Amino acid sequence: MMLDPLTLVLFAPLFGAVAAFVFPRAAAAVGLGAVLVTCGAVLWLAQQVLAAGAVTVALGGWEPPLGIALRADGLAVAMLAMTAVVGLLVSASALDALREARQQQYFWPLWLLLLTGMNGVYLGTDVFNLYVMIEVIALAAVGLTVLSGTREAVRAGLEYMYASILGALLFLLGVGFVYLQLGRLDFEGLNSAEPSGALSAALALMVIGLLLKTALFPLHFWLPAAHANATAPASALLSGLVVKAALYIFLRLSTYMPLPDEILITLIGTLGAGAVLWGGVQALRAERLKLLVAWSTVVQIGLIFIAFARAGQIGLTESWKAAALLILAHGVAKAAMFLAAGRIKDEVGHDVIRDLDRSSIRPTLAQFTFALAAISIIGLPPSLGFIGKWSLMEGAMAAGYWHWVAVTMIGTLLSVAYFSRVFAGFLRFDRMRGELAEHKGWAVADIAPLTLALAAISLGLMATPILSFLELGYPFGATP
Amino acid sequence: MTDPVLVFDLLLAAAVVALAVASLSVRDLFMAIVLFITFGLLSALAWVRLSAPDVALAEAAIGTGVTGALLLKTLHHLRYVTGTLDRDPPPSVTPATPVPAPVIWANAAFCGLITLGLAAAFLGAPQAGPGFDPLVAEALPASGVEHPVTAVLLNFRAYDTLMEGVVLLAAVIAVWQIERGLSDAPAPALGEIFDGFARLTLPAIVVVGTYLLWKGAEAPGGAFQGGAVLAAVGLLLLLSRLYVPQPAHRGVARWAFVLGTGVFAGVALLVAGGGRVAFEYPAEHAKTLILLIEALVTISIAVTLAALFHGREPVALPSSGGKKDA
Repeated sequence: MMLDPLTLVLFAPLFGAVAAFVFPRAAAAVGLGAVLVTCGAVLWLAQQVLAAGAVTVALGGWEPPLGIALRADGLAVAMLAMTAVVGLLVSASALDALREARQQQYFWPLWLLLLTGMNGVYLGTDVFNLYVMIEVIALAAVGLTVLSGTREAVRAGLEYMYASILGALLFLLGVGFVYLQLGRLDFEGLNSAEPSGALSAALALMVIGLLLKTALFPLHFWLPAAHANATAPASALLSGLVVKAALYIFLRLSTYMPLPDEILITLIGTLGAGAVLWGGVQALRAERLKLLVAWSTVVQIGLIFIAFARAGQIGLTESWKAAALLILAHGVAKAAMFLAAGRIKDEVGHDVIRDLDRSSIRPTLAQFTFALAAISIIGLPPSLGFIGKWSLMEGAMAAGYWHWVAVTMIGTLLSVAYFSRVFAGFLRFDRMRGELAEHKGWAVADIAPLTLALAAISLGLMATPILSFLELGYPFGATP
Repeated sequence: MTDPVLVFDLLLAAAVVALAVASLSVRDLFMAIVLFITFGLLSALAWVRLSAPDVALAEAAIGTGVTGALLLKTLHHLRYVTGTLDRDPPPSVTPATPVPAPVIWANAAFCGLITLGLAAAFLGAPQAGPGFDPLVAEALPASGVEHPVTAVLLNFRAYDTLMEGVVLLAAVIAVWQIERGLSDAPAPALGEIFDGFARLTLPAIVVVGTYLLWKGAEAPGGAFQGGAVLAAVGLLLLLSRLYVPQPAHRGVARWAFVLGTGVFAGVALLVAGGGRVAFEYPAEHAKTLILLIEALVTISIAVTLAALFHGREPVALPSSGGKKDA
């Protein structure tokens, strides 16, 4: 048996999921092992990509368009690495956060199947294969949404499933029409296709499906309830990783799409602006901490689309990098934030923002972690979020699109405002009469979210190597 | 003189659309499901007319048979939990609170937009393009099987098929983990006639399902169709209570769910080496490996679909005093 890192990145979590499901008592150990092996495979792959640029494997020895090829370039490996690292730390925190044996037993196979699907999306070069992968992700993600078992979670999970399947069906319809037009399904075929109105219509169907799955305003209706009601590790995975899969496919497709004109790009940016404003206002009104964090995901998704549209059609060759940076930054910071919110809820016993300062228990380290993650999400230097926002605004200013700068500024102010609601609760002690309870202020379970939050901040210092890594293998513009 | 086949096709197309509209607009849920099943059967016929017998088999077995059974089971459960099991009128689709008009208009606009996109994509597309056909015909001799659809599903694009199995696995894991803490609706009383029916049909279904799988190598059929037909065995066993799932059976069930996916993925990895990549079967063993994979995937699909019909992990319910009954 001879292994290559591309196949291993896919099969390690798949075999892990199978083993974790068959041996429920050892699920945690098996699962953690599989995630570690996946991390190793990603490292190996990164090494190859660094040395050789893009790496490709035609599965079964059948070259596309008949067969399916896996391809890794800088962007794909960056996403794989983000997913693996976030996944590893969320896995570590799941060991503590999921107290019931039943939750442990089901968390691991579902999460590993999710990881299989995510990795498959990053490496996919075939639109039908991408459809299958987003179905894998959708079902595993719905399973994770309802893991907490509460009535609200089941209801939110059902709504999420309807939205997700509708999105996947729209995507599949588009795939069918692409095949009807081109007689092939691989990226190469899309790249070399003659632009036509019919092809644009097919791609537009796929994009609408993706926008529904990634929850871009006004198709975000399913997200807040689903992400707010899941258990903390599941929320971190759903918000940090799952919505990024559809975003990533959108980013990939956008190069092959004959995005016809400025109007469409402006429309996408406008929807993003809608998400930033509407999500910001809803976050200001949210009564519960996790719901606030979920609304902030809606905002961030909008921001990523603004980054995509920041410099119009001509700027697309550069704008994707700003979007990719924001995707990476949000993945790490949002996972940290949801885990920290889960820790706070665990310690305090509730997550009603208004009463956070009434608690006699002060989970100080979790609160500190939450604040660190917020720094990256608000976009303060030196965090990775800051670099992403900065390159968004830089591009917009260079192209003279001041309206995107204005929207980003308003969004930033809104995020400062709604996170301040939380910080006020963290910092004020005067509303608690009486003794503070005995509490160290930290626990071992805080280490995983803290590491993620510190990573979100410190990765900003490594922005230059990250940017040059993203460009490896020329993900955009050149033939895949 | 008009071609009689054309008349048939037009009637068929009209009937499919009419059934779809009727199924969506009828208020009674039971009627809606029956119309949906009829719609599925006629769609299968339409696939036959479009020279896609594989799709027709899949539509009949999965799209109509298993889906219909799942819908009826859900309706039964719904009537049980709402206490309308023995009561007329049956539950209707009218929501308790009316949908606000703006929402209806927004949905209508969204659907209209999608329809426009579909129309644009369809009208602008070249008709009867070659697609994969020439490529498949060229590579078929090296695939190990004679039926082009099987060659695509289990050799050329085996990766997609493996992942479709994973989708089914994710579905059954997700269903099992939803703990409703609610005792199951009692199975509908089927009577003695049904028992006799089960005894007569069970062996026949097993033969049909196995035949579909076996023929898949050279003719339409294969794992998904065969698996769905075999799942009907599970459905009959569950409905007639010849088999009652017990908590102790969970271990075996877990193995059965992952069997197809596990072996498929294992074979895909193990064949790699010596210049071959994953999924690249050695030419002399290709047919054996494909048949092995198909057989095991069929078993997994059949068990998984039956488990989805059962709809829950067979756990001991504390409320019903130990063993649960279905």
